[in-house]
Amino acid sequence: MAQAGKGRLNYRCPSCFMRDLDIDMFYDKEKKEYYCLRCQYTGTEEDVLEKNEMARFRYRAMMKRITDFED
Amino acid sequence: MSQINSTQGNDKFVLNVIHRPEMVPEYAEKVTGHGKTEDIGRKELLTESLDIFKTQQSIAHKNGIKTTIQMTYASLFNEEAVALAKEHHETYGDEIALTLLGLPCNEFREKYKTKDFCIWMFSMEDKISIVNDVFEKFHDCFGFYPESTGSYYMDAELINYIKATYPSVKCAVATCWEEGPKAYHTCNNSWYTFMDGGPWAPWIPSKANTHAPAANEEEDSGIVAIPHLSRDLLACYDGNGSNFGTHPQNVLRGMIYHDNQFPYLFNLIDQYRHLGKYNNGYAYNMMFVGPGWMNKMGRWEAPYELLVKSYEDGMAYYGQLKKEGKLIDMTMAEFADDFRANKHYTEPECALWKDILYGSDKQLFWYCDPYMRACVNMDQGGAIVDLRPYAAKLEWPVGIGTKHVVDASYPFLIQEKYRAGYFTHYAGEGTIRSAKVVHNGEEVDLCLCRTKAHFEENDGDRRIVLDPVEIEFYDLTVKLQTVMHFPEGTGEIRVERRILEISNPDAEVQINEYMVACYGTTEYMEDMTELVLSTKKGDTVCSINYEYKCRELFMDEAEEVACVLPPIKTKVSLGMADSKGATGYFKEGYAFSPMFTLGYKKTLRNQEVLSTWLKLERED
Repeated sequence: MAQAGKGRLNYRCPSCFMRDLDIDMFYDKEKKEYYCLRCQYTGTEEDVLEKNEMARFRYRAMMKRITDFED
Repeated sequence: MSQINSTQGNDKFVLNVIHRPEMVPEYAEKVTGHGKTEDIGRKELLTESLDIFKTQQSIAHKNGIKTTIQMTYASLFNEEAVALAKEHHETYGDEIALTLLGLPCNEFREKYKTKDFCIWMFSMEDKISIVNDVFEKFHDCFGFYPESTGSYYMDAELINYIKATYPSVKCAVATCWEEGPKAYHTCNNSWYTFMDGGPWAPWIPSKANTHAPAANEEEDSGIVAIPHLSRDLLACYDGNGSNFGTHPQNVLRGMIYHDNQFPYLFNLIDQYRHLGKYNNGYAYNMMFVGPGWMNKMGRWEAPYELLVKSYEDGMAYYGQLKKEGKLIDMTMAEFADDFRANKHYTEPECALWKDILYGSDKQLFWYCDPYMRACVNMDQGGAIVDLRPYAAKLEWPVGIGTKHVVDASYPFLIQEKYRAGYFTHYAGEGTIRSAKVVHNGEEVDLCLCRTKAHFEENDGDRRIVLDPVEIEFYDLTVKLQTVMHFPEGTGEIRVERRILEISNPDAEVQINEYMVACYGTTEYMEDMTELVLSTKKGDTVCSINYEYKCRELFMDEAEEVACVLPPIKTKVSLGMADSKGATGYFKEGYAFSPMFTLGYKKTLRNQEVLSTWLKLERED
């Protein structure tokens, strides 16, 4: 089995991101999946993107343009 | 792009945009060079780095924004980079400055035989040698010495040496706000930048400690310091600082975008504009994106195109504000002069900050002056959740050969994230300054009374007035209001608890004002055995040395309860304007709860007010 490499983009582990850890994932060409060196997450690019959406759950005002800052 | 419309006539919003031609950008070698043996002299790396710098400069100029070009040591060996800086200075009025970031290059490594790259981590001997080296090399290239410099952190000894040797320097990037253990954790415990506890907005550092602002001319280090980026004062305190700042790619790093849109960045800029309201109309922003963040390979999930778009959009918003007369772009040196002309030493920096990301109504009040930095959390009834005793002006040399090789943080007395706040698991206490209201065996901590604050100022007294909260006991309801005063130049915080209404006008309640504290710079406990706790009334002083024995001492009508912390040369005390009828106390703490508590208890009736003060002093 050949060594893993970086994928098309430097995807981070979505599971670790949700606990405030930025860990680059590596890509296993044979299994066609990204995997995390630190935790047990594995997933396709599609799954990574889906989980990244999940990671944004806490940013409830992320897309809101705020114009009032008065106390 | 929409924007806030509350700009007042006298408001001034100053922007510093800084670029550095970093020939070996941080991250780039690790990212673009993956799978190759390390070679920081790779031609494609150098070419790409300079291209990114050119792109950044072009985007700023296109939007009418002047920049400060912080030449790196490596770039001083590159004729094209030097020529570009000269050309842009002539054409756009950009300042040519010198950063102590970007040291790595073959020339540096051959000379200093190390891969260290953070100036504050070198030995003092090496700091002097490096400063001389880069400043003289800069002079060789440009024929003058720079007026601005910087790094992620600039320790006091370094600043003092630079100012003494190169007095032209008047401005420096000197810290990254709340970059410390949180950033370390986010980077899988591999990013050793520990510099928590500093100001979030420009300040004049003291000669003794960079974080602590100078209280007078004698303490003045001679420079104006600016933070590396303008950070979200709520998000950065709890999360990874590198996701929440005026750094468009940091916002992408935080995944705070959708469909290539990131309104959060503009909300952040606008909230900083709003801070002028609390600071005599003066507000500030800083954008400083290293070239590694715009590399062609993309950065994490963001492709190159999005990285560039985010920078273009951010700069376009600044450009729009400038065109509308709502922003003044300055070079760092220009800003240093302007800051000194508009500020005085004891003038605090205040920020009543609201959540702009998570959709909560949470509100924090940050206060910073030469004597303290404090954070008040309105979601916890106005509890002080972070407290740094700048009054001590603690000498804290950092770098190889000192006790603190990498830890440049200013120690805290209270830090609710590292040493718990109100909530602890099963036993012990966390650091917090709050009050408990007690009635008939029931006890309610104000930490559980969520509220909002309003800022007021007159005659040097800045205060936050909190909306009243209701405390419900089994047979009694109490309406209570908190007002916190920050009298300028005193090192004191005065807290008033006003009983506005009681459902039974004849009833009494006891207020227990307390502060649980310790000291440290990280999440882990320090040795408490040098601490001395005391109470005082007239000539009577009762004190104990900390021995983790869970002892408590109460003194009726105590004038002061205090703790002296020799490891951080600090004395913290609580007192009352009138302690008649009150009881002061201290609690020692124990191994499972390595804290100390200072407090006062007093019984109040309807319409009465309890007023206490917290004071910070240096004690050797």
